[in-house]
Amino acid sequence: MAVKKSKGQYFTIERLIFIGLLVVGLLLMGFFGLRAARSYIRIQQTGLEPGVTDVEAIRGWMTVPYIAQAYQVPESFIFEQLDIPAEGNRKKSLRDLNREQASGNPGALTEVVKTAIRHYQAENPPTPGGDP
Amino acid sequence: MTDINVTDFLLTAIINYGALAFGVALVLGALGVPVPGTLAVIAVGGFVRQGVIDWPSAAIFGLAGAVLGDSLSYGLGRFAGDWAERRFGQSSVWQNAQTTFNRRGGAAIYLTRWLLTPIALPINLIAGGSRYPFWRFLIYDLSGEATWIVLFGGLGYAFGSQWELINQFISDFSGLLVGIVIFAGGVYGLFRYRQRKAASARREAVAPRG
Repeated sequence: MAVKKSKGQYFTIERLIFIGLLVVGLLLMGFFGLRAARSYIRIQQTGLEPGVTDVEAIRGWMTVPYIAQAYQVPESFIFEQLDIPAEGNRKKSLRDLNREQASGNPGALTEVVKTAIRHYQAENPPTPGGDP
Repeated sequence: MTDINVTDFLLTAIINYGALAFGVALVLGALGVPVPGTLAVIAVGGFVRQGVIDWPSAAIFGLAGAVLGDSLSYGLGRFAGDWAERRFGQSSVWQNAQTTFNRRGGAAIYLTRWLLTPIALPINLIAGGSRYPFWRFLIYDLSGEATWIVLFGGLGYAFGSQWELINQFISDFSGLLVGIVIFAGGVYGLFRYRQRKAASARREAVAPRG
């Protein structure tokens, strides 16, 4: 059933909607403004060197071939250190590999990869200025 | 409990299957599937720098995917719009909304492709629903998506392996912009409301009383 509103009621509902927009806008501005400021400060504090790859940036979504390319380490060397065959594991993420190989110890394989890369880079220093 | 992380799944898919996975992700994102599209664009910029993906295929598949997804959601809006047209077509509010979108929709389409991305899907639906001409939609859409891919992909390329840092900032900054736009909409609306109320009061004062 349609409710016929008087002009006064129409104005009041409209006003409430605009006040609602102001409140929602302010809340979003406050929430995201603080987060954006925090992200910005973090960027400022991090000495950004886009050409340098830090092993601490290794994540669970990465695959061994990707890590090998990004860190300029032979793929076979990483698989050797992980003690798993490349066959059938090349497209699996570190998280999936970890789940299959060391399910009781999350992040264990990631640590092995980090140590392996540090080792490799110590023995074969990356070319200065080379892109990852 | 299965630990499925959409972002991780997406990134692994992109490094495994390249530009094709990137394009598919952008189609799904434009259709409202919660896929982190901006993150994908920034990450792909970083992957291009690392030599994992080549930039021409990333640009082509990315642009094609985004435009295809936007066109499909425009189509959905058009389909829903037919129903709304039958139901509300005679309403002056509906007609006003259509006229306003037809006049100013281009800027809304362009800006929501790359700057105010959280409201891109509603804009696609509104554009379709209000029968905004498809060819005009396509022109603004293509320009906006190209800006998105070049700008954010470029940032990812510039930040290289540290693209994750800039992604967090951009995501928060985009939320802040949406907040500013909503707040500005409220201020503008209240301003217009006061003007109309004052005009209405003046008319009532001038009108002869019977």
